[in-house]
Amino acid sequence: MDAKDILGLPKTQLPLTQDKKSRPQKEPQRKPDGISREVYALTGGLAPLMPSIDVSQLKKRPPSDEKITWQWLPFTNSARKDDLQLYHWVRVVNGIPPTGDYSFAKYNKSVDVVKYTNEEYEKYLTDPTWTKEETDQLFDLCGRFDLRFIIIADRFPSSRSVEELKDRYYSGTMHELISRNYLIVLDGYDNSYLVVSRAIMIARAPSPGDVSGHPLVKEPYNVSQEKERKRALSMVLSQTKQQERKDAEVLAEAKRIAESRMAARAAEEPELPVTSHAGSESADRAVLGDTVSPSLNVQLPAAVVAPSTSIMADSASTLASLRMLKVYLRTYALEQMVQAASSSAGLRTIKRVEQTLQDLGVNLKPKVPTKAVCAEHLELRKEILTLLNLQKQVMNTQDTLLSPMESSNSNASLSLSNNPFFPLYYRDLKDFGQRSQRGGDQDRTFVPDSVSFGGDRVGKRDQKRKGPGRLSEAPSSPAHKRPRKMKASDL
Amino acid sequence: MYGGDEVSAIVIDLGSHTCKAGYAGEDAPKAVFPSVVGSIDQMDVDDSGNAERNSGSGVDSKNNIDSNKGKGKRKLYVGTQSLGYRRDHMEVLSPFKDGIVADWDIVDSIWDHALRECLLVDPKEHPMLLAEPSSNTQQQRERAAELMFEKYKVPALFLAKNAVLTSFALGRATSLVVDCGGGSTTVAPVHDGYVLQKAVVTSPIGGEFLTNCLMKSLEGKGITIRPRYSFKRKENRPGEFQIVDLDFPNTTESYKLFSQRLIASDIKECVSRAPDTPYDESAYSNIPMTPYELPDGQTIEIGADRFKIPDVLFNPSLVQFFRGALILLFLNFYQTIPGMENYVDIASSCRGLPQMVIESINRCDVDIRRELFSSILLAGGTASMQQLKERLEKDLLEESPQAARVKVVASGNATERRFSVWIGGSILASLGSFQQMWFSKSEYEEHGASYIQRKCP
Repeated sequence: MDAKDILGLPKTQLPLTQDKKSRPQKEPQRKPDGISREVYALTGGLAPLMPSIDVSQLKKRPPSDEKITWQWLPFTNSARKDDLQLYHWVRVVNGIPPTGDYSFAKYNKSVDVVKYTNEEYEKYLTDPTWTKEETDQLFDLCGRFDLRFIIIADRFPSSRSVEELKDRYYSGTMHELISRNYLIVLDGYDNSYLVVSRAIMIARAPSPGDVSGHPLVKEPYNVSQEKERKRALSMVLSQTKQQERKDAEVLAEAKRIAESRMAARAAEEPELPVTSHAGSESADRAVLGDTVSPSLNVQLPAAVVAPSTSIMADSASTLASLRMLKVYLRTYALEQMVQAASSSAGLRTIKRVEQTLQDLGVNLKPKVPTKAVCAEHLELRKEILTLLNLQKQVMNTQDTLLSPMESSNSNASLSLSNNPFFPLYYRDLKDFGQRSQRGGDQDRTFVPDSVSFGGDRVGKRDQKRKGPGRLSEAPSSPAHKRPRKMKASDL
Repeated sequence: MYGGDEVSAIVIDLGSHTCKAGYAGEDAPKAVFPSVVGSIDQMDVDDSGNAERNSGSGVDSKNNIDSNKGKGKRKLYVGTQSLGYRRDHMEVLSPFKDGIVADWDIVDSIWDHALRECLLVDPKEHPMLLAEPSSNTQQQRERAAELMFEKYKVPALFLAKNAVLTSFALGRATSLVVDCGGGSTTVAPVHDGYVLQKAVVTSPIGGEFLTNCLMKSLEGKGITIRPRYSFKRKENRPGEFQIVDLDFPNTTESYKLFSQRLIASDIKECVSRAPDTPYDESAYSNIPMTPYELPDGQTIEIGADRFKIPDVLFNPSLVQFFRGALILLFLNFYQTIPGMENYVDIASSCRGLPQMVIESINRCDVDIRRELFSSILLAGGTASMQQLKERLEKDLLEESPQAARVKVVASGNATERRFSVWIGGSILASLGSFQQMWFSKSEYEEHGASYIQRKCP
């Protein structure tokens, strides 16, 4: 050690005053009497908050009548084969040393390895790949090392793999056991013990018929399976970090390719041209959001089958958002669906739907939200919404027909009655030249929106139209309103 | 102790650098001294007829089992005290060659010193537990048994492998033991208390080699280490000293080297630290220097060498910077000096520590590899180097497969790491269920020394 280290001097010059400060701190840490210093230090050197054991009780021992001494005496060990006598301390009570075997001798356990004679070897255990010496060596090592095959393989003079050794040992033992109980297997009864005329008595001979239940026979050692398993394990364990990184990259790449393929396939499925874009968008979102799952395929056809285009797109997006949540309540799902479905309707329409439901005697929120009930509820709402929208359109067209600008073509009414579909409706509206005078600006704002969903715009146009034209139609609109309501209630 | 039963056994661990001996059941050896001896050939001094002069402790004239006819009698000096005193013509000899025992007389004298002079016991009364290298040959074991039973007349003997004892000291039956000792580094897997001999990997790079590297490096910088005997400090004025060189012309070269090595190894232990990343000349060129005061008052500054030298364990190709050290290595280890062209080959054939670990594990059966990875034990004097454990763990994490969880275990106490083999022996010899495993004298007489192979697996 460096001279300065031994003396405890600092390597660079420091003032000496620091030493004096540490000394007064040591005084208050005295130990209490009754327990030794080391034991006190175990508690952390401080007194406990609550005294658990009365300190004065600790040193007392119960007074005993016997005279106990400790003597250094020799002992024998039954686990040893020779008569070595070692010495150890023995607790002697009243001059009488304790009797009995060495207390640790009972831990001497070993495995019973089958011992075969030469004739038995000739009869049952010959094997083309194994010589007798090797087999003898193997069984000897098995006995010495208590069937620890990894160590046996290590100490075996010729290089055999662990599986080969195990195979030889287990099959040899199995054959031996079966050969000795051969007759028992055949007869399977108590009396066969007497029938077996062998000089060798085997303690482990199981009860009759039990050989088939012996684990060696029931599940024989399967060399090829073990070899395969070990090969696979060694493959796993021998990969270096770089290889694993490459593997991980390759797997990520493959996943990305698979997902993009799924998205492309999902994009082809919806046939309606209008929402194909939206559908593929939502499908994409859904795919990117979750892992590729079969449920996606189920949802997409279900979505395709949906009756109206708007609802299909909406439900697809809500389905996507719902699938983001792993767990959700059905009422919550229903609310989302309802909201999605009625996103195309204005507040007034929603109120009307709810009013209709109440008139029908249906709860706004189903009492028992099972899957079937929710589906039916949703269907009902959608149908009511459709109905209301259609009614509104009918009213609108009737208004336009009843309006002073009646010189409009009768084709419109004809075409209107035949074509409730929104896009065609809009196409007809475009042809109305007269209309443009009154609501031209409104028309022009609406023309570019030909690819929009009907309800919302119609509703807005409805309101706007009613605004300027209310004076003229004042008597008719309440009348219209009422029949509309009556119609709803008639349903 | 619930599993313990003390029979007052003695545990002796004769390592390549130090010998440790003590009672079983204790937590540290009582006798620790270098496992080299000073020997003065008596041939120059004695006539062949004077046998009486050689009586006394430490003489081996009775036991000339192995000595050549030409060697004659020699007086051996064992122990720190005897070795510390300079004597004329005293050569410093080691019993080991290539990592295994070559000179049994020296071993005998070392044991004698440990038992009779340090521990003050009579070997007839105490069973003996000896620690042996993990790849010891049958012949060596038989010689050891012979010597113990014939000369010391012990009642019982057991030879245990170093790796197994370390494993028991750290409380495991299956582990991979990395023993960074003085003379060599050994990586040995232990399974269920038995060493898997086909998977043991050794390398001649040990603590002694690192000391040599440091000495060469200091020499290269022009710093000479004065051995303690070679100077005297005269006090001119209070606090101020002057060095007076003493000249002892009859001092042998080996003794001078031995004394210098003592100082150099102390420097190495004080200042060296294993670097966190592989050593790089440019990275460590501006490192702040650490001062160290030599016994003669000189203060030297050590900078990059602090990190370069421990990195030799991990990257043996750094040895090329310490050219002279290789010569010393081969002198000590192989007792030969190979041709110049072989240096680089042999140095590059030594692998770094992480590679040795991986190689050893890969030689084992696949089923136990995971378990071995998760309990890698560090032992030995060189392993108490700072930051060695962290660096080894880091290197292994890079090279090992993902499926295996790598964990390097080392006891926090530097003394425990140094003596872990001895401590394992102490634990083993005081267990109750071990008492049936001794190789007793009667068994030796009945079956012969070769029976030891069966008794001490």
